Amino acid sequence: MSTHTTNHHVEDPDVVGSRNRLGVILILVADIAFALSVLFVYFYLKGQNVNDMWLPKATEDTAAVLPLSSSGAWIVTALAGVGLLSHGSALRAAKAKQNSQLVLGSLVALVLSIGAIAYQLNLIFSVNFVMGMGSYYSCYMLIAWLNVVHLALTVFISLGNWNRARLNLYAKDHWHVAIVNVWWIWMFVSSGLGAFALSFT
Amino acid sequence: MSLNETGAKQTTWWKKKDVKQTALIWVIVTPIIGYVATEVQVRSMGAPASEIMASTINLMRIFTWAAAPVAGLVFAMSATVLLSKSFYGDTPPPEAEIGYRNSPRANALWVAVSALLCLFALVVGMVAVQKDSASLTDATAMEIKVTGQQWVWSYDYTGGSGVRSDVLYLPVNKPVVFHVTSVDVKHSFWIVQMGIKIDANPGYITETAVTPNKIGVFDVRCAELCGLLHAYMQNKVHVVSQADYDAWIKAQSKLEAATA
Amino acid sequence: MTTTLNRPSASAHSAPKRALIERLNIFTALALGVISAVVVWRLALQFLPQDSEEAIFFNREDKITLLSMIAWFIGFMVGIGALIGPFRWVMGKDLSHDENMFYAGKDLGVKRYFRYTTDHKVVGIQYLVVTVVIFFIGGVLAMLIRTNLGNPEGGWIHPQAYNAIVGTHGIVMIVATIIMVTGPFGNFIMPIMIGARDMAFPRLNALSLWLIVAAAAPILWGLAIGGISTGWTAYNPLASQAPLGQNGYIMFICIFAISTMVAGANITTTVIRMRAKGMTWNRTPIFIYGVVASVALALPAFPVFFLSQIMSAMDRAIGTSFYDAQHGGSGWLYENLFWLMGHPEVYVILIPAVAALMEMAPVFTRNPLFSFNLAVIGIAGISGLSALVWAHHMYMSGWAPLLNIPFMLTTELISIPTGMLFLVLIGTLWRGRLWVTMPMASVFALLWNFMIGGVTGIYLSDIPADAFLHGSMYVTAHFHYTLMGAGLTGAIAALVFWFPKMTGRIFDAKLSWISFWMVQIGFQIAFIGMFLVGLAGQPRRVEGYAETFNTGNMVTTGGAYLIMAGMLVLLYALIHSWMNGEKASMNPWHSKTLEWTVANPIPLENFDVLPTVTTDAYGYGKEIR
Repeated sequence: MSTHTTNHHVEDPDVVGSRNRLGVILILVADIAFALSVLFVYFYLKGQNVNDMWLPKATEDTAAVLPLSSSGAWIVTALAGVGLLSHGSALRAAKAKQNSQLVLGSLVALVLSIGAIAYQLNLIFSVNFVMGMGSYYSCYMLIAWLNVVHLALTVFISLGNWNRARLNLYAKDHWHVAIVNVWWIWMFVSSGLGAFALSFT
Repeated sequence: MSLNETGAKQTTWWKKKDVKQTALIWVIVTPIIGYVATEVQVRSMGAPASEIMASTINLMRIFTWAAAPVAGLVFAMSATVLLSKSFYGDTPPPEAEIGYRNSPRANALWVAVSALLCLFALVVGMVAVQKDSASLTDATAMEIKVTGQQWVWSYDYTGGSGVRSDVLYLPVNKPVVFHVTSVDVKHSFWIVQMGIKIDANPGYITETAVTPNKIGVFDVRCAELCGLLHAYMQNKVHVVSQADYDAWIKAQSKLEAATA
Repeated sequence: MTTTLNRPSASAHSAPKRALIERLNIFTALALGVISAVVVWRLALQFLPQDSEEAIFFNREDKITLLSMIAWFIGFMVGIGALIGPFRWVMGKDLSHDENMFYAGKDLGVKRYFRYTTDHKVVGIQYLVVTVVIFFIGGVLAMLIRTNLGNPEGGWIHPQAYNAIVGTHGIVMIVATIIMVTGPFGNFIMPIMIGARDMAFPRLNALSLWLIVAAAAPILWGLAIGGISTGWTAYNPLASQAPLGQNGYIMFICIFAISTMVAGANITTTVIRMRAKGMTWNRTPIFIYGVVASVALALPAFPVFFLSQIMSAMDRAIGTSFYDAQHGGSGWLYENLFWLMGHPEVYVILIPAVAALMEMAPVFTRNPLFSFNLAVIGIAGISGLSALVWAHHMYMSGWAPLLNIPFMLTTELISIPTGMLFLVLIGTLWRGRLWVTMPMASVFALLWNFMIGGVTGIYLSDIPADAFLHGSMYVTAHFHYTLMGAGLTGAIAALVFWFPKMTGRIFDAKLSWISFWMVQIGFQIAFIGMFLVGLAGQPRRVEGYAETFNTGNMVTTGGAYLIMAGMLVLLYALIHSWMNGEKASMNPWHSKTLEWTVANPIPLENFDVLPTVTTDAYGYGKEIR
């Protein structure tokens, strides 16, 4: 290979930003594969209904196991949706160089993510799950815990994003905010997918 | 072998020395590879005890012979390269006289041939699958329920007799359908010399069918790791004449009545 | 360690943080990991409620084991310093240039190999050492298996221990083969080959390496508490009733899946965004394609595996019923999830090894790579199709007999792109000037082994033949031919080929030849013997077998010992050449790819001035088109 010289410069923030964006999207590919597999698990076990134990019927000693309402999952999705809107406004503010708007938008997003995780954990611990309740309850737990993990990441990311906005670190470039927005979109979509699955019992 | 077609200005490609050499080696090694690979494999598989196993052996024979020319060609070309002048030492040999970067014809030919071989394998396979699955719906077949359990097989003879046994007896030349399940973990029900296998899954019933065509004692083995004594989860299948089979069933029923 | 930091120029507030970075290394990681594991174990023993007498499952011990392993994992990662970057981001105190240089191991000498160093060359060497260690462990286990199978009664290893050895050998070797090319060479060589100063995300690069180190502990720990007695596939519900060691498998897979995901995103981004000026896709070396195909394939594949193990852990520890048929679970669910990962995974192993040999073939024949486009199409075709073939592992499971034929179709279609790779290799050899070296010989060895592995794969893809062969030793021999005969052969050749660039020394040629012949001959003996006992009806993963299989097993065991001897020669040659091999020149093979244009030893950021590429790397001989 023949080579000739070009001078080295410090890398442009746009180059770094687009590189980071691609990296995050590729990691999201993995997470999307994970979330879709969770849906596959739900619908496969529901479809198979092995030994008629997806939702066990009443027996002499035990009452029938009843499905749970999916409204909780939809509420989490709605919270994530509002968080996404709020973060979206923060992103627009970052592009327009309005720092106070940016701080406010990312703070609201942070508060919403904390609220959503608290609500989701409350939902989980209010379910009286015991072993042998059939595969529906197992899947419900799986989807709920997936939300918790995603929300925990969202809290962490939103906290950093808000803090960095507060410290005025986004004065020169705002690609961090744009990438956080990509995550918020996925947060919204993934919780929506879970809620969608739980709507079919 | 048409790799050099486009580069050949002076001599037509098939008259070049290395092409002739490759062709010669190919013609010699292909039948050797085909014969040796087929015979070694088929002999290892032993004598078939059912039509299915016979056709499986036949499949192995067909596939091996179909693959032999391809393997022979790769072998012949490799051998020709290896027989050409080699260079040793720490410095590289001079670069090749003509750098062949591509040959659309060779590519097209290669892909076409591999597609044809692929199609051939597919058709042969599908025909055999069709034949095997037809036997599943045979109305005249006797039905046996097979249950795997760590680490034994047990057999329920349905259809009146209600015999349960941990040794399998089958009448010769009578189609049989196995309904296979498990009570604990996954096992795999394999009658070696009859060439059939199906997993025993907890919570599900799976089916396989065969018609034994030879009197003798054959092997049932578990083909899916199922815990501590997986290696010893095996017993025998006795294929006997119809009369012997009837006598065995009768004896078993009596035995069961006595113990019940 | 402190000498490297330009203390006076650093701003005051970051000084204490920096001191923390300096203090963390593998020893603090081990210490913190062990301490947190022990603390959590004690606490869990103390406070977790006993299983009630009438419980269906007894899972308190699983909970304790899993919690301790998670504590180890978190402690280790904190101790190595993996979390400093993210927390500094949250706090809004990004790493300064000096700190980044310190992370990259500037002027740290040998110490940089024992820390969370971000320089891709350090990570590559670390990967190489980790790979060799994992292969060594897997190899010892393989020899235990073969020794036990020396006589029909099995005998001297207890069946429980034998099953644990088989399972551990399987998963350890799978992981070793997954990382054997993309780890050492994908990290060390790939960025230089595309003319980059480092990976796109250097910290993620270090993370992917240290995750693997962190993952190694649970599996060794698992060996001490019952081992993985389920084979590497860990089918449920067998895994649900397996001993505590199964938790080690679960943790291992989960951590490893994160590692592959991180590495996949990192390597793919690097190649897409950071190729040198002028390196169009047509001029990008074929090895790069192989590496990217491999890691990109792992991106969607491994999360599925990850999920299957999370559910396995939940079944074991909190009594969910994903796989328990009695309570509405399904073993077929596990098989589907497992093989959704499991089949792409074999190509994850194979593609980069074959691509590495494609990179070497032109160098050692002084001939251009034949039909570059066909090679790219072949790699892409294999990657694409590999996502659609998983259920050929399940022909005999009965989960969907109607789908068997479509899966037979996709499986046999893979033979077409695979054939293309054969044509590329054989076309490159054709009329070349053979430079007789061990990597050159490896190309021929690959053609031979991969031919056998590929053709036996066609038998297995055929449903009626599979009804006989599935679950037998024939399958074991088949995938050893592909993963070891083709994959490992390529990886060893890559080691010899790139060794001068990675260590500055020449790999001992004579010893590499001795090892080559011992391994290859031993390999043919061992695995042709295994094919034959498989055809005669010996199932896989058995601890004892019928008398009739004795001869075949003796032959296999003998071959295995020859392989072992060859591998020990290779290990000796590796250490010997690394320590006192002949010093290598900048480009000892007279290759035309970019990694040979940098000096030995390679400076920290590889290129002082970034190269511009004007042709591809295969311009050997007079061009005819």
